[in-house]
Amino acid sequence: MSASTPDLTALDSATREALRRLITTLADSKRLMGLRYSDWLLGAPSIEMGIATSSMAQDEWGHARLLYAMLKELDVDPEVVEHDRAAEEYASLDVLDAPFDNWAAVVSAMVVVDGALSVALESFGRGGFESAGTRIPKMLAEEEFHASLGVAWYRRLAGAAHEAHALLREATEAQLPSVLAWLGADDEPARALLAAEITDAGSSQVEAFRDAVREVVVAAGVDVDAIEPASAWDEKRGRGPGAPDEGAVERARGDRNRSLFVE
Amino acid sequence: MHEIVYDVFARKNRGDALTHVGFVDALDDETARVYAWKTYDEENWFEMCVVPRSAIIPVNRQVTAPRGHRGNRP
Repeated sequence: MSASTPDLTALDSATREALRRLITTLADSKRLMGLRYSDWLLGAPSIEMGIATSSMAQDEWGHARLLYAMLKELDVDPEVVEHDRAAEEYASLDVLDAPFDNWAAVVSAMVVVDGALSVALESFGRGGFESAGTRIPKMLAEEEFHASLGVAWYRRLAGAAHEAHALLREATEAQLPSVLAWLGADDEPARALLAAEITDAGSSQVEAFRDAVREVVVAAGVDVDAIEPASAWDEKRGRGPGAPDEGAVERARGDRNRSLFVE
Repeated sequence: MHEIVYDVFARKNRGDALTHVGFVDALDDETARVYAWKTYDEENWFEMCVVPRSAIIPVNRQVTAPRGHRGNRP
Protein backbone atom coordinates (compact mmCIF):
# COMPACT_ATOMS: atom_id res chain seq x y z
CA MET A 1 0.00 0.00 0.00
CA SER A 2 1.01 3.58 -0.52
CA ALA A 3 2.36 5.68 2.34
CA SER A 4 1.24 8.88 0.67
CA THR A 5 -1.87 10.72 1.76
CA PRO A 6 -4.63 10.53 -0.82
CA ASP A 7 -6.38 13.76 -1.65
CA LEU A 8 -9.75 13.07 -0.07
CA THR A 9 -11.46 15.61 -2.29
CA ALA A 10 -10.15 13.70 -5.29
CA LEU A 11 -11.72 10.40 -4.19
CA ASP A 12 -14.84 9.50 -6.09
CA SER A 13 -18.09 9.42 -4.16
CA ALA A 14 -18.16 5.62 -3.97
CA THR A 15 -14.71 5.51 -2.36
CA ARG A 16 -15.57 8.31 0.06
CA GLU A 17 -18.67 6.37 1.07
CA ALA A 18 -16.59 3.21 1.47
CA LEU A 19 -14.16 5.09 3.73
CA ARG A 20 -17.08 6.43 5.77
CA ARG A 21 -18.40 2.88 6.13
CA LEU A 22 -15.01 1.57 7.24
CA ILE A 23 -14.48 4.27 9.86
CA THR A 24 -18.03 3.86 11.16
CA THR A 25 -17.87 0.08 11.49
CA LEU A 26 -14.52 0.32 13.29
CA ALA A 27 -15.73 3.07 15.62
CA ASP A 28 -19.07 1.42 16.37
CA SER A 29 -17.38 -1.91 17.03
CA LYS A 30 -14.94 -0.25 19.43
CA ARG A 31 -17.83 1.52 21.18
CA LEU A 32 -19.79 -1.74 21.58
CA MET A 33 -16.69 -3.73 22.54
CA GLY A 34 -16.07 -1.27 25.36
CA LEU A 35 -19.67 -1.52 26.41
CA ARG A 36 -19.52 -5.33 26.52
CA TYR A 37 -16.33 -5.18 28.59
CA SER A 38 -18.04 -2.74 30.94
CA ASP A 39 -20.79 -5.32 31.55
CA TRP A 40 -18.15 -7.39 33.39
CA LEU A 41 -16.54 -4.77 35.63
CA LEU A 42 -18.19 -6.35 38.65
CA GLY A 43 -18.48 -9.88 37.32
CA ALA A 44 -14.90 -10.67 36.39
CA PRO A 45 -13.29 -13.56 38.31
CA SER A 46 -11.03 -11.33 40.44
CA ILE A 47 -10.65 -7.72 41.55
CA GLU A 48 -7.54 -7.42 39.38
CA MET A 49 -9.39 -8.70 36.34
CA GLY A 50 -12.27 -6.33 37.04
CA ILE A 51 -9.82 -3.41 37.07
CA ALA A 52 -8.21 -4.65 33.85
CA THR A 53 -11.65 -5.04 32.25
CA SER A 54 -12.53 -1.50 33.30
CA SER A 55 -9.31 -0.22 31.76
CA MET A 56 -9.96 -2.11 28.53
CA ALA A 57 -13.44 -0.60 28.35
CA GLN A 58 -11.89 2.87 28.69
CA ASP A 59 -9.34 2.05 25.98
CA GLU A 60 -12.07 0.91 23.58
CA TRP A 61 -14.17 4.01 24.16
CA GLY A 62 -11.13 6.20 23.64
CA HIS A 63 -10.38 4.43 20.37
CA ALA A 64 -14.00 4.85 19.29
CA ARG A 65 -13.85 8.59 19.99
CA LEU A 66 -10.67 8.98 17.90
CA LEU A 67 -12.18 6.98 15.04
CA TYR A 68 -15.49 8.90 15.05
CA ALA A 69 -13.48 12.15 14.88
CA MET A 70 -11.96 10.99 11.56
CA LEU A 71 -15.41 11.32 9.97
CA LYS A 72 -15.01 15.10 10.06
CA GLU A 73 -12.52 14.78 7.22
CA LEU A 74 -15.35 13.35 5.12
CA ASP A 75 -17.66 16.23 6.09
CA VAL A 76 -19.68 13.97 8.39
CA ASP A 77 -20.58 15.36 11.82
CA PRO A 78 -19.26 12.89 14.43
CA GLU A 79 -21.60 14.34 17.05
CA VAL A 80 -24.61 13.14 15.08
CA VAL A 81 -23.05 9.74 14.41
CA GLU A 82 -22.16 9.23 18.07
CA HIS A 83 -25.35 10.45 19.67
CA ASP A 84 -28.26 10.57 17.24
CA ARG A 85 -28.51 7.24 15.47
CA ALA A 86 -30.99 4.42 15.88
CA ALA A 87 -29.82 0.90 16.67
CA GLU A 88 -30.54 -0.21 13.09
CA GLU A 89 -27.90 2.24 11.83
CA TYR A 90 -25.09 0.84 13.96
CA ALA A 91 -22.34 -0.82 11.94
CA SER A 92 -20.72 -2.70 14.83
CA LEU A 93 -19.80 -6.36 14.45
CA ASP A 94 -22.95 -8.42 14.89
CA VAL A 95 -21.33 -10.63 17.55
CA LEU A 96 -21.48 -7.56 19.79
CA ASP A 97 -25.24 -7.09 19.38
CA ALA A 98 -26.05 -8.98 22.61
CA PRO A 99 -24.29 -9.18 25.98
CA PHE A 100 -21.88 -12.05 26.53
CA ASP A 101 -23.56 -14.88 28.43
CA ASN A 102 -20.59 -15.98 30.48
CA TRP A 103 -16.94 -15.26 31.26
CA ALA A 104 -15.73 -17.77 28.66
CA ALA A 105 -17.51 -15.76 25.96
CA VAL A 106 -15.79 -12.57 27.18
CA VAL A 107 -12.40 -14.27 27.03
CA SER A 108 -13.13 -15.64 23.58
CA ALA A 109 -14.11 -12.15 22.42
CA MET A 110 -10.83 -10.72 23.74
CA VAL A 111 -9.01 -13.06 21.37
CA VAL A 112 -11.44 -13.31 18.46
CA VAL A 113 -13.35 -10.02 18.29
CA ASP A 114 -10.78 -7.63 19.76
CA GLY A 115 -8.12 -9.51 17.78
CA ALA A 116 -10.02 -9.02 14.53
CA LEU A 117 -10.47 -5.32 15.26
CA SER A 118 -6.70 -5.01 15.71
CA VAL A 119 -6.04 -6.74 12.39
CA ALA A 120 -8.44 -4.35 10.66
CA LEU A 121 -6.84 -1.36 12.40
CA GLU A 122 -3.34 -2.50 11.40
CA SER A 123 -4.45 -2.65 7.79
CA PHE A 124 -6.11 0.77 7.96
CA GLY A 125 -3.10 2.28 9.75
CA ARG A 126 -0.71 1.05 7.03
CA GLY A 127 -2.80 2.57 4.25
CA GLY A 128 -2.77 6.03 2.83
CA PHE A 129 -5.26 7.76 5.14
CA GLU A 130 -3.04 10.06 7.19
CA SER A 131 -5.20 10.32 10.32
CA ALA A 132 -5.26 6.55 10.58
CA GLY A 133 -1.50 6.38 10.18
CA THR A 134 -0.92 8.82 13.03
CA ARG A 135 -3.60 7.68 15.49
CA ILE A 136 -3.75 3.92 15.12
CA PRO A 137 -0.23 3.01 16.38
CA LYS A 138 -1.12 4.18 19.93
CA MET A 139 -4.36 2.22 19.80
CA LEU A 140 -2.47 -0.90 18.77
CA ALA A 141 0.07 -0.39 21.57
CA GLU A 142 -2.83 -0.39 24.08
CA GLU A 143 -4.35 -3.41 22.37
CA GLU A 144 -1.17 -5.42 23.03
CA PHE A 145 -2.23 -5.60 26.69
CA HIS A 146 -5.73 -6.77 25.71
CA ALA A 147 -4.21 -9.48 23.52
CA SER A 148 -1.81 -10.64 26.25
CA LEU A 149 -4.61 -10.89 28.75
CA GLY A 150 -6.94 -12.61 26.29
CA VAL A 151 -4.40 -15.26 25.32
CA ALA A 152 -3.41 -15.96 28.94
CA TRP A 153 -7.02 -16.35 30.03
CA TYR A 154 -7.95 -18.35 26.92
CA ARG A 155 -5.22 -20.90 27.57
CA ARG A 156 -6.19 -21.09 31.24
CA LEU A 157 -9.86 -21.76 30.52
CA ALA A 158 -9.05 -24.16 27.69
CA GLY A 159 -7.02 -26.23 30.12
CA ALA A 160 -9.60 -26.04 32.90
CA ALA A 161 -12.59 -28.19 33.74
CA HIS A 162 -14.77 -29.66 31.01
CA GLU A 163 -17.51 -27.05 31.44
CA ALA A 164 -15.18 -24.05 30.99
CA HIS A 165 -13.51 -25.70 28.00
CA ALA A 166 -16.89 -26.45 26.40
CA LEU A 167 -18.18 -22.89 26.94
CA LEU A 168 -15.00 -21.46 25.47
CA ARG A 169 -15.22 -23.65 22.39
CA GLU A 170 -18.91 -22.87 21.94
CA ALA A 171 -18.29 -19.11 22.16
CA THR A 172 -15.33 -19.20 19.80
CA GLU A 173 -17.19 -21.22 17.19
CA ALA A 174 -20.13 -18.81 17.48
CA GLN A 175 -18.00 -15.67 17.11
CA LEU A 176 -15.63 -16.73 14.32
CA PRO A 177 -18.01 -16.89 11.30
CA SER A 178 -19.22 -13.30 11.51
CA VAL A 179 -15.74 -12.01 12.35
CA LEU A 180 -14.31 -13.79 9.28
CA ALA A 181 -17.07 -12.37 7.08
CA TRP A 182 -16.42 -8.86 8.43
CA LEU A 183 -12.66 -8.97 7.93
CA GLY A 184 -12.84 -10.70 4.58
CA ALA A 185 -15.48 -8.48 2.99
CA ASP A 186 -15.02 -8.42 -0.77
CA ASP A 187 -17.95 -6.26 -1.81
CA GLU A 188 -17.78 -3.08 -3.88
CA PRO A 189 -16.87 -0.73 -0.96
CA ALA A 190 -14.07 -3.07 0.15
CA ARG A 191 -12.70 -3.24 -3.39
CA ALA A 192 -12.86 0.57 -3.67
CA LEU A 193 -10.74 0.94 -0.52
CA LEU A 194 -8.25 -1.60 -1.83
CA ALA A 195 -8.00 0.24 -5.18
CA ALA A 196 -7.42 3.54 -3.34
CA GLU A 197 -4.70 1.85 -1.24
CA ILE A 198 -6.50 2.71 1.99
CA THR A 199 -6.72 -0.89 3.26
CA ASP A 200 -5.40 -4.34 2.38
CA ALA A 201 -7.56 -6.91 0.64
CA GLY A 202 -10.03 -8.69 2.90
CA SER A 203 -8.37 -12.01 2.06
CA SER A 204 -5.04 -10.68 3.40
CA GLN A 205 -6.71 -9.52 6.62
CA VAL A 206 -8.36 -12.90 7.09
CA GLU A 207 -5.03 -14.62 6.56
CA ALA A 208 -3.34 -12.34 9.11
CA PHE A 209 -6.14 -12.98 11.59
CA ARG A 210 -6.04 -16.76 11.15
CA ASP A 211 -2.26 -16.67 11.67
CA ALA A 212 -2.68 -14.62 14.84
CA VAL A 213 -5.29 -16.81 16.53
CA ARG A 214 -4.63 -20.29 15.10
CA GLU A 215 -2.36 -21.51 17.90
CA VAL A 216 -4.55 -19.92 20.58
CA VAL A 217 -8.00 -21.26 19.69
CA VAL A 218 -6.70 -24.76 18.98
CA ALA A 219 -6.35 -25.04 22.77
CA ALA A 220 -10.18 -25.11 22.91
CA GLY A 221 -10.32 -27.62 20.08
CA VAL A 222 -11.19 -25.04 17.40
CA ASP A 223 -9.60 -25.23 13.95
CA VAL A 224 -9.81 -21.66 12.65
CA ASP A 225 -8.97 -22.84 9.12
CA ALA A 226 -12.06 -25.06 9.09
CA ILE A 227 -14.50 -22.27 10.03
CA GLU A 228 -16.43 -20.74 7.13
CA PRO A 229 -17.38 -17.05 7.15
CA ALA A 230 -21.04 -16.23 7.73
CA SER A 231 -22.93 -15.73 4.47
CA ALA A 232 -25.48 -13.06 5.46
CA TRP A 233 -24.15 -9.54 4.81
CA ASP A 234 -25.45 -5.98 4.97
CA GLU A 235 -23.39 -4.08 2.41
CA LYS A 236 -24.68 -0.65 3.44
CA ARG A 237 -23.34 -0.97 6.99
CA GLY A 238 -20.49 -3.43 6.32
CA ARG A 239 -21.60 -6.01 8.89
CA GLY A 240 -23.97 -8.93 9.27
CA PRO A 241 -27.73 -8.48 9.62
CA GLY A 242 -29.42 -7.38 12.87
CA ALA A 243 -28.70 -4.58 15.33
CA PRO A 244 -27.50 -4.08 18.90
CA ASP A 245 -30.20 -4.25 21.57
CA GLU A 246 -31.86 -0.92 22.31
CA GLY A 247 -30.50 -0.78 25.86
CA ALA A 248 -26.94 -1.09 24.60
CA VAL A 249 -27.47 1.66 22.06
CA GLU A 250 -28.95 3.97 24.69
CA ARG A 251 -25.78 3.44 26.72
CA ALA A 252 -23.53 3.82 23.67
CA ARG A 253 -25.22 7.11 22.76
CA GLY A 254 -25.07 8.26 26.37
CA ASP A 255 -28.78 9.16 26.38
CA ARG A 256 -29.12 9.35 30.17
CA ASN A 257 -25.99 11.45 30.62
CA ARG A 258 -26.97 13.81 27.87
CA SER A 259 -30.43 14.34 29.30
CA LEU A 260 -28.68 16.15 32.19
CA PHE A 261 -27.03 18.69 29.88
CA VAL A 262 -28.14 22.26 30.45
CA GLU A 263 -27.81 24.43 27.35
CA MET B 1 -8.35 -21.29 40.18
CA HIS B 2 -4.88 -20.99 41.77
CA GLU B 3 -3.47 -17.48 41.89
CA ILE B 4 0.03 -16.26 42.63
CA VAL B 5 1.02 -13.11 44.51
CA TYR B 6 3.25 -10.77 42.53
CA ASP B 7 4.89 -7.67 44.01
CA VAL B 8 4.90 -4.60 41.77
CA PHE B 9 7.85 -2.23 41.50
CA ALA B 10 8.05 0.96 39.44
CA ARG B 11 10.03 4.14 38.84
CA LYS B 12 8.77 7.44 37.45
CA ASN B 13 12.00 8.58 35.81
CA ARG B 14 15.15 7.07 34.40
CA GLY B 15 17.65 6.92 37.25
CA ASP B 16 15.03 6.82 40.04
CA ALA B 17 15.12 3.89 42.42
CA LEU B 18 12.58 1.15 41.78
CA THR B 19 9.90 1.50 44.45
CA HIS B 20 7.50 -1.10 45.75
CA VAL B 21 4.06 0.21 44.74
CA GLY B 22 1.82 -2.73 45.63
CA PHE B 23 0.90 -6.26 44.67
CA VAL B 24 -1.51 -8.20 42.47
CA ASP B 25 -2.92 -11.71 42.52
CA ALA B 26 -2.53 -13.23 39.07
CA LEU B 27 -2.78 -16.52 37.19
CA ASP B 28 0.71 -16.32 35.74
CA ASP B 29 3.47 -13.92 34.66
CA GLU B 30 1.53 -12.62 31.66
CA THR B 31 -1.64 -11.76 33.55
CA ALA B 32 0.52 -10.26 36.34
CA ARG B 33 2.13 -7.87 33.82
CA VAL B 34 -1.25 -6.63 32.58
CA TYR B 35 -2.93 -6.49 36.00
CA ALA B 36 -0.02 -4.47 37.41
CA TRP B 37 0.02 -2.03 34.49
CA LYS B 38 -3.74 -1.54 34.59
CA THR B 39 -4.06 -1.40 38.40
CA TYR B 40 -1.19 0.95 39.26
CA ASP B 41 -1.74 3.40 36.42
CA GLU B 42 -1.95 6.58 38.50
CA GLU B 43 1.50 7.65 37.28
CA ASN B 44 3.15 7.85 33.89
CA TRP B 45 5.73 5.22 34.85
CA PHE B 46 9.08 5.08 33.11
CA GLU B 47 9.46 1.44 34.14
CA MET B 48 7.38 -1.15 35.94
CA CYS B 49 8.16 -4.76 36.76
CA VAL B 50 6.57 -7.60 38.72
CA VAL B 51 8.19 -10.27 40.84
CA PRO B 52 6.54 -13.43 42.15
CA ARG B 53 6.59 -13.00 45.91
CA SER B 54 7.81 -16.59 46.22
CA ALA B 55 11.01 -15.60 44.35
CA ILE B 56 12.02 -13.08 47.02
CA ILE B 57 14.69 -14.58 49.26
CA PRO B 58 14.71 -13.26 52.82
CA VAL B 59 18.09 -12.02 54.01
CA ASN B 60 17.75 -11.04 57.64
CA ARG B 61 14.15 -11.92 58.49
CA GLN B 62 12.11 -14.98 57.62
CA VAL B 63 8.82 -13.09 57.24
CA THR B 64 9.15 -10.32 54.64
CA ALA B 65 5.55 -9.52 53.83
CA PRO B 66 4.23 -6.42 55.65
CA ARG B 67 1.45 -6.97 58.14
CA GLY B 68 -1.85 -7.47 56.34
CA HIS B 69 -0.25 -8.44 53.04
CA ARG B 70 -0.50 -11.94 51.71
CA GLY B 71 2.55 -13.97 50.84
CA ASN B 72 3.25 -17.35 49.32
CA ARG B 73 5.22 -18.44 52.35
CA PRO B 74 3.78 -19.01 55.79
